[in-house]
Amino acid sequence: MTGASLAERRAVAGWAFPRWLETRTLVVILLAVGLLIQTGRHVEVDRMVRLTGDALMAAAGLDVDSQVARGVEKIAGSLFPLQVAKRTDISRIEGFDRTELPLLAHIETVAHQVERMNPETLTMEAHTETVEFLVEPVGYLIHVAAKLVETLEIALWGTVIAIVMSAPLAFFSASNLTLNRYTYMIARALVSGLRAVPELVSALFLVMAYGFGPIAGVLALAIYSAGFLGKFFAEDIENSDVKPQEALRAIGANKLKVLCHAILPDVMPQYIAYALYVLDRNVRTATVIGIVGAGGIGQELKGRFDMFNYSHVGTILVAIFVMVFVIDQLAARLRRRYL
Amino acid sequence: MSFDAVVFAGIGKTFADGTQALNDVSFTVAAGEFCVILGPSGSGKSTLLRTVNGLAVPDAGCIVLSGEALTPITLPRLRRRVAMIYQQFALVNRASVAHNVIAGALPATPTLRAVLGLFGAKDKQKACDLLAAVGLAPEHLTRRVSELSGGQQQRVGIARAFMADPTAILADEPVASLDPRTSRDIMTLLRREARERGATVLCSLHQLDLAMEFADRIVALRNGEAIFNGPPSAFTASVETRIYAVDKARAS
Ligand SMILES: Nc1ncnc2c1ncn2[C@@H]1O[C@H](COP(=O)(O)OP(=O)(O)O)[C@@H](O)[C@H]1O
Ligand SMILES: [Mg+2]
Repeated sequence: MTGASLAERRAVAGWAFPRWLETRTLVVILLAVGLLIQTGRHVEVDRMVRLTGDALMAAAGLDVDSQVARGVEKIAGSLFPLQVAKRTDISRIEGFDRTELPLLAHIETVAHQVERMNPETLTMEAHTETVEFLVEPVGYLIHVAAKLVETLEIALWGTVIAIVMSAPLAFFSASNLTLNRYTYMIARALVSGLRAVPELVSALFLVMAYGFGPIAGVLALAIYSAGFLGKFFAEDIENSDVKPQEALRAIGANKLKVLCHAILPDVMPQYIAYALYVLDRNVRTATVIGIVGAGGIGQELKGRFDMFNYSHVGTILVAIFVMVFVIDQLAARLRRRYL
Repeated sequence: MSFDAVVFAGIGKTFADGTQALNDVSFTVAAGEFCVILGPSGSGKSTLLRTVNGLAVPDAGCIVLSGEALTPITLPRLRRRVAMIYQQFALVNRASVAHNVIAGALPATPTLRAVLGLFGAKDKQKACDLLAAVGLAPEHLTRRVSELSGGQQQRVGIARAFMADPTAILADEPVASLDPRTSRDIMTLLRREARERGATVLCSLHQLDLAMEFADRIVALRNGEAIFNGPPSAFTASVETRIYAVDKARAS
């Protein structure tokens, strides 16, 4: 048969190639657009676009009064220069030992004039007062570094506890492993319950229960991450290749043996990838939940912010940025090499 | 060894959706025999093999293994000596070759030891011996199954099957996803090892030439019914026509 006659042939009865855009798809797209327009009005998308446009024009050097540009300028002005040194009034240091200064530190003496009333003459007289400060040139950097390490430790422990908690949760909430309908339902409910409360909210309550500090942070991260890991781990277990499982069951291996020798080897690489992702995420979240008092760099940030120490805040923000960036790079490199 | 290893007596199986996969299948396989179940796809070969280790439960008839009837009570004990080899190998792809083979020793390993992965020295030695016997090299031990060729994967599957000292081996189209040359190698290997270790083999195939070459006995299935049972020498062209004639009738 030649090409021409093939092309000329009429449609075969009963065969119609599906249309590219079906009516149903079209309706869904229209509905979605309508929803976006309606919600966009509520979240002031139009104003956002206008303000951003002004800011961009101001940044380009045009003579436009931009509220956003002014705000950014003000923030940047107060954050810089960053706080690096630590300066402490010696009179406030308990048991200060002049002969044993910390590394690189020196004592700075500041003299300033104070006007004070002389009670006898009832006139103001000038006095010279000296205040001594202990100056540690990179003292604040070291303090921030220590807080960063604490943040990492909170994230690590939150993740470790989550891994331990998520394993049994996942086993019982996987339909092919659970013992019976009740263990399945209870485990499922637990897994979604744990994920239902965002870390920031649970941290708020945990700080009330355990007080300020890292314990609340670790627990807040652990609770949410356990739910997260449990859900995905259970899904992986359910979707893992059934053929090798059947092969072991067929020769009489019990459930536990099948779990350890057919299911776990199959899902483990994926589980490790999840756990690393959660760790990565927990580092970021640990900085945020510190703001409600759950330890780490976030707690320091909140404290400085409330005291209007904006140059300290600047140092903290830069430090967080550097930490997240470094961890991102490290994680990407590890992932490329081992997964 | 002259007793009957596997007896199928009037086996019938209809799935929940109404598909009748097996209908009154009866035949006997002697101990040590290499029996090929021949038939086109959909003829019930897999279902028949799976009734032997309880993966499919027949709703009519009875299976007798080495003189013992298969019942829900005897199944857990009897299935330990029935190994299975699969068309798609059914290995844990992400696990090592060593891990996959020693998994064949799981039924006989106490649960706690199995969970901790503490297999006996004897089992480890046996796994190595078997891998050597199926033609793999020591450097394959730590390799992931997914990094092996299809033929090598089936060799691992065969090694795993022999780990439990099976009296019977169910091979469900063991060479259907391999090329003709490798298929022949694998069939030769399976037959040789089974003979050496005194295992009875029930092997399903859809290739007539392989069946003629390797079988001691051929049982031909068509639409879930056994239409031939005998040595390859008795398998004539008219039998072959009968197997495939039905397929044509079905397709139209
Ligand atoms: N789990 C099942 N549910 C319903 N029908 C099935 C199932 N397994 C197999 N069948 C049907 O039973 C018949 C025999 O299948 P099978 O034993 O797999 O044949 P073969 O292995 O010879 O290709 C086929 O018609 C198939 O569709
Ligand atoms: Mg089949």
